[in-house]
Amino acid sequence: MNNSLLTQDKRTKQRNAAEARFKAYGLVAILVALAMLVWLLVSILSAGSPAFRQSFLTFPVLIEESIADKSGTRDPAVLTKVTTLGYAKILAHSLEAEIAAKGVDLGAMKPKEIGQMISEESSATLRDMVMANPGLIGTTIPFTAIASGRIDGYFKGRVTMESAALDKNTSPEQLILADNLRAAGILKSEFNPGFVTMPDASDKRPEAAGLGIAIIGSLMMMMVVLLLSLPIGVAASVYLEEFAPKNRWTDLIEVNIANLAAVPSIVYGILGLSIFINFAGLPQSAPIVGGLVLTLMTLPRIIIPTRAALKAVPPSIRDAALGVGASKLQTVFHHVLPLAMPGILTGMIIGLAQALGETAPLLLIGMVAFVRDFPGGLFDPASALPVQVYTWTTRGDPGFVERASGAIIVLLVVLIVMNAAAIYLRRKFERRW
Amino acid sequence: MKSAFSFPFAALTLFAGAAFSQDQAVAEATSSSVLYRLIFALGIVVFLIAAFTVGRNRAKTMRSKVSEMHSLPSFHGAVTLQYAALGIVLAIVLHLILGRPLGLGGAVAASLVLGGAGALFGLSTIKADFRARTFTERTIMVALILCSLVAVLTTVGIVASLVVETGHFFELYPASEFFFSTVWNPRFGGGSSLGILPLVWGTLYVSAIALVVAVPIGLMSAIYLAEYASKSVRAWVKPAIEILAGIPTIVYGLFALITVGPLLRDYFAQPLGFGDSSSSVMTAGLVMGIMVIPFVSSLSDDIINAVPQSLRDGSLGLGATPSETVRSVVIPAALPGIVGAILLAASRAIGETMIVVMGAGAAAKLSLNPFEAMTTVTVKIVSQLTGDTEFASPETLVAFALGLTLFTITLGLNVVALVIVRKYREQYE
Amino acid sequence: MKDMNMESRVLIQSNKIEARKVQVYYGTNHAIKDVDVDILDKTVTAFIGPSGCGKSTFLRCLNRMNDTIPSCRVEGLITIEGEDINDPRVDPVQLRAKVGMVFQKPNPFPKSIYDNVAYGPKIHGLTRNKAELDDVVESCLRKAALWNEVKDRLQAPGTGLSGGQQQRLCIARAIATSPEVLLMDEPCSALDPIATAQVEELIDDLRSQFSVVIVTHSMQQAARVSQRTAFFHLGNVVEYGETTQIFTNPKDPRTESYITGRIG
Repeated sequence: MNNSLLTQDKRTKQRNAAEARFKAYGLVAILVALAMLVWLLVSILSAGSPAFRQSFLTFPVLIEESIADKSGTRDPAVLTKVTTLGYAKILAHSLEAEIAAKGVDLGAMKPKEIGQMISEESSATLRDMVMANPGLIGTTIPFTAIASGRIDGYFKGRVTMESAALDKNTSPEQLILADNLRAAGILKSEFNPGFVTMPDASDKRPEAAGLGIAIIGSLMMMMVVLLLSLPIGVAASVYLEEFAPKNRWTDLIEVNIANLAAVPSIVYGILGLSIFINFAGLPQSAPIVGGLVLTLMTLPRIIIPTRAALKAVPPSIRDAALGVGASKLQTVFHHVLPLAMPGILTGMIIGLAQALGETAPLLLIGMVAFVRDFPGGLFDPASALPVQVYTWTTRGDPGFVERASGAIIVLLVVLIVMNAAAIYLRRKFERRW
Repeated sequence: MKSAFSFPFAALTLFAGAAFSQDQAVAEATSSSVLYRLIFALGIVVFLIAAFTVGRNRAKTMRSKVSEMHSLPSFHGAVTLQYAALGIVLAIVLHLILGRPLGLGGAVAASLVLGGAGALFGLSTIKADFRARTFTERTIMVALILCSLVAVLTTVGIVASLVVETGHFFELYPASEFFFSTVWNPRFGGGSSLGILPLVWGTLYVSAIALVVAVPIGLMSAIYLAEYASKSVRAWVKPAIEILAGIPTIVYGLFALITVGPLLRDYFAQPLGFGDSSSSVMTAGLVMGIMVIPFVSSLSDDIINAVPQSLRDGSLGLGATPSETVRSVVIPAALPGIVGAILLAASRAIGETMIVVMGAGAAAKLSLNPFEAMTTVTVKIVSQLTGDTEFASPETLVAFALGLTLFTITLGLNVVALVIVRKYREQYE
Repeated sequence: MKDMNMESRVLIQSNKIEARKVQVYYGTNHAIKDVDVDILDKTVTAFIGPSGCGKSTFLRCLNRMNDTIPSCRVEGLITIEGEDINDPRVDPVQLRAKVGMVFQKPNPFPKSIYDNVAYGPKIHGLTRNKAELDDVVESCLRKAALWNEVKDRLQAPGTGLSGGQQQRLCIARAIATSPEVLLMDEPCSALDPIATAQVEELIDDLRSQFSVVIVTHSMQQAARVSQRTAFFHLGNVVEYGETTQIFTNPKDPRTESYITGRIG
């Protein structure tokens, strides 16, 4: 054996090389994990951020009496007979006139095809405006229409001249005209608040689809989850941690809670479907059912951190309160619970954040249904943010991929805010006993 | 004591909302029915507060007359409130059981009558020697116990609904076919083959790939964080990796669908001749593997940290390098806990739904090609139960049998994992 | 080399380890100040002193176990046979094979008795085959006076032994790498009196082959097993010399106060 410490023998060299390799594996593993996180976020952000911008066409619209009200009576019953197709024509005519007035080069475009560049959603909007105010007929009003999904996609790089040539919904000529309209200031890309406020739109109109109903639905469900799981979760934790005798029965409850926290979420969907919808007869697609299902799912995930927070309050506090003659219950509610509150709230927020992102159980209770009307209450059909993402990905039009990614961005922003709040709470009130 | 009562209030509000949700005769328009419900719920709250105040004031007056009372006035108020609430609950339950005979108006009247009666009875209990505090605390205790039973009821509900519907399914479809048939081909209209084997195969294949990705990365990250990383690196990297666990699975699903799937198809499957499907076992497995990394790394990290430092010192003191120490001392000592962590991760992967729905495909196949679209138990639960479901057909009911299978497998894994981890923790405590 | 050793042992015992002006900092806390100590070959040296005086910290400097504590910083010169152990060329792995260590609490690995002892020789590649390894394990267990108690259950887990047996197993494990110096950090503090007596006897036997440095709380133990004693106080070495001289005729008043029980 080599006796000097200053030179490494061969075996030590080999062992040190193995050491360096092992350490490198660990570093690589961490870098891979972090790279995956970055890749995931970058991919979703880059796919989703265009959803917040939209191409709009702004031009004066003459609401032609010859189309909107042939009879000239302004009778609402007659007016409703004119479909959105009629209003599409009105928009197309006005845009054509504006193009002529501004001297925009039409290129090889046939005037007939101009209407295709405007979203059908805008015809519906115009029709609603006229229905609400028949006096508009015959006048010229300033109007901002949504450009069709293909035109919008062209400015976002999704649609190219080559793909347009193969697409029956658009043509290269339309895209050239779109460029010209943009140069003339008629077409503008602007921030699109409608993405978060408007309801979902049908299969053909990705440009008009919004998250409004999904956000409201998710909000309602979170209200239900908060209202139910906070009191029930805290009460259950208080009982199990402070009062329950240690016997086989409470042991069973404990094991049961630990297991419920690990049951696949889809199983809760099955539970909701058979108990709340089939057995109790609650309506499908309703936020109340979603909220109840998510409550059951969230409860064990809240009880576990809540009990940890209660356990972290030192026994000396309880002894002090009991020592001045407080009852056990007063001790818990006056002293232990307030001291454990930051920990409980942190666990609650994290539990809520998990519930907010949960999708699978909601699919089974009918939240995938297409909903156009804003829900008036907990029992009306609604959608939910993550479910809306899923339904959009199942649609044919590629424009919906951008919408789905955009919806994820909204979801992630909410989750980041919630988790930041949890971290802030934890840091601010962290107490070392 | 007030905080203790926010719960009954909240519950009642919701309860009242539920009771009148479908009183369409009373309120046609949705918005006004919501308004009625809100007003009713608010009314209940006001009524209960009134009951509390009256009871407390009465006790206060009594206290000024008699020399000594057992309980503070507010506890007497609380007793009054409890009886009043009992009356209202009775009224609403009656209203619901009798099928809403008199509509919202009837419910309000019944609530007023029964609630009022309850409040009056509550007031009559106010006496100097009445132990109002003990009474109230007993009520609260019952409420606490009931709340902790919710978790048990959830399990009972899950098991009951799965078992009952699975029973119905096996009345319509032979159990042996379900468990041993290798064909999954549901036809709405009869003559379906509903063999679970292709689905189980797909589930296991995807989960296996996920674990092959997640276990080495998760375990090596945990080792690096626990044994090599400096405090500041650890403080940043550990939460960063845990972000992966906080991201909703729908996000992973979309990632599989729009990024990983096409990438694997264009750069691996097509050039290598493995097919041209963008949804595949590989896509779902890889993405699920990323999702599962923190489940392996976080728990393993905790467990490796629980290995006593004295063991490390013993090994280092003999001249072992840190990696030799990790491999021959720390990992063997932590092995049970790490196995538990991996089992939990496996259970997580098997029960995962959205990633496979969006990444793995819908075709039930028994194939070895990882670039082929296959399907899993969870995907089929979703596809058989979404949309218009008719609950008498085996094609729908099979979802419950699938659910029961899934529940049993994951429960088994969880129980084993939890027992192992618990035993391990006790060993070093 | 060997001859010289023999010769010098006859005249004046050679210095195995020399420490000069050693400073240890934990973060900003100056834990060891200006320590000069020479450790002689084939001798038991005891470090005594009140708790928190730095004796264990200094012991851990001798085989660079302090490297494993991130906030710890060591300055000064420590040489073993004239070679600076903190030289960047020195691999702590090789150093620790040469300077073994036994810890306060018995810390057998959760492996079999055999594997515990065989661990060192395996990682350092000291044996060529199983038979040789068997021999090393047996001889080390014999040296540690444990062989007769465990020879029938070498495959039983080392954690199943009694506390005294575990500590002797750890000693066997440490001498299996054939170190030249054996550091013992309060090796008997977790043991009962009978086990302590066994370990002390063992230390005396080990003196013929190794240079032993033992940190101890017990002055009686130091007096019983050691030839030389260093008294540590508040991070300084107050007095260092022959054990008999330290205990019978201490030069420093602090040493005297300590051994008569007035401080500590």
